[in-house]
Amino acid sequence: MASSSDALASTGSTPEPPEGGTTAPVAPERRGRVRLRRTAIMAVPATAVAATLAIMTAQGALGVQFAISGMPFTVTATNLDGTGFEQFGNLDNMAEDSPNAGDTGGQVLVVTSAIKNATLTKLCQSVDLGGTNLLITAGNGSTPVTAKDLTTDSTELSGDASFNNIEIGNDASTLNKANARGNKGVFSQQADTVHIGNLRQTNYATTAGVFKLPGLKLRFSSSGC
Amino acid sequence: MARPGIAFRQWRAKRPFWGGLLLTLGGGEVLLTEKASLKVVLHVGMQGLAGYLLPTVMLLCGLLILFNPAQRLFYSIIGVLLSLGTWLTSNLGGFLIGLLLGVTGSCLTFGWLPDQEPRRGLLRRRRERSADAEPTDAESTTPPVASAESATS
Repeated sequence: MASSSDALASTGSTPEPPEGGTTAPVAPERRGRVRLRRTAIMAVPATAVAATLAIMTAQGALGVQFAISGMPFTVTATNLDGTGFEQFGNLDNMAEDSPNAGDTGGQVLVVTSAIKNATLTKLCQSVDLGGTNLLITAGNGSTPVTAKDLTTDSTELSGDASFNNIEIGNDASTLNKANARGNKGVFSQQADTVHIGNLRQTNYATTAGVFKLPGLKLRFSSSGC
Repeated sequence: MARPGIAFRQWRAKRPFWGGLLLTLGGGEVLLTEKASLKVVLHVGMQGLAGYLLPTVMLLCGLLILFNPAQRLFYSIIGVLLSLGTWLTSNLGGFLIGLLLGVTGSCLTFGWLPDQEPRRGLLRRRRERSADAEPTDAESTTPPVASAESATS
């Protein structure tokens, strides 16, 4: 394409001296190469868009989805308020030959909690990467984090909970307060509203939760939540 | 030098190798952070599926850049859009790492052109070597200036 002129312009200065042998001494190999200006045509708008996305997410204008597992991660929040709450036991399967499987055979017994609409204040999520933690905090300001169809598979859950209109002992396949169903014959409970203070969860998966994260901060830290 | 090494260099010279590789790695990284059980994902529908779809297509675009470099512009544009999209759909773009790899790879691919002159520094060194008999002071004393582009290639 017609950007050999680009090359001269960007490297600037003098053209090659014509003397010094005949033309090209050893028939220089011609190979493909990255041209800086062409790269910038895409890199500059892409960076701008990426920055915009990050800023809009931090302001809570954009929702982001999480779907991670296999690595346990911790979620804490000072307050969780939700409408449409379900909880049932489940068995999570890791990907085949997952390095995190250990001696568990790749299966983890978890409690699945599903909340249709949730608001969380001072959300903190940390993943232990071995030595360092990836820390995500959000909702520290006046606007809380909101999540839709939040489904978490936890191995540990602690906090001060209160429920409204709770039904305990349903079959997990008959739940209807949120968008999750368990297997037949599994114990479960559901409630219209839920409030959990000082929430602390050790999760194996947060699935298809659309989060709006005002005041998002993503950083590496030596300590978790 | 072994012959397979030379063959690989020649193969690499004919395509945006690093761009394609980075985009492939980026897609792979995002996919690795996504392990939500497919059952739940399918239940939620398109929005959940997009979390898997975007990095998969990213990965495919990266491979296609490597093995079908003629269409690299199209692949790189799709690649950069998908990479940016994973911020919303897939764990903040695989916790930022996959997104950065993908965008960098796409941009390198977009900026790549085939059949370029050798780098100026390289050219100068060659000339010095061939013109050993009559060394010109001006050229032998000044170190070869690495152009800005040589760092990225």
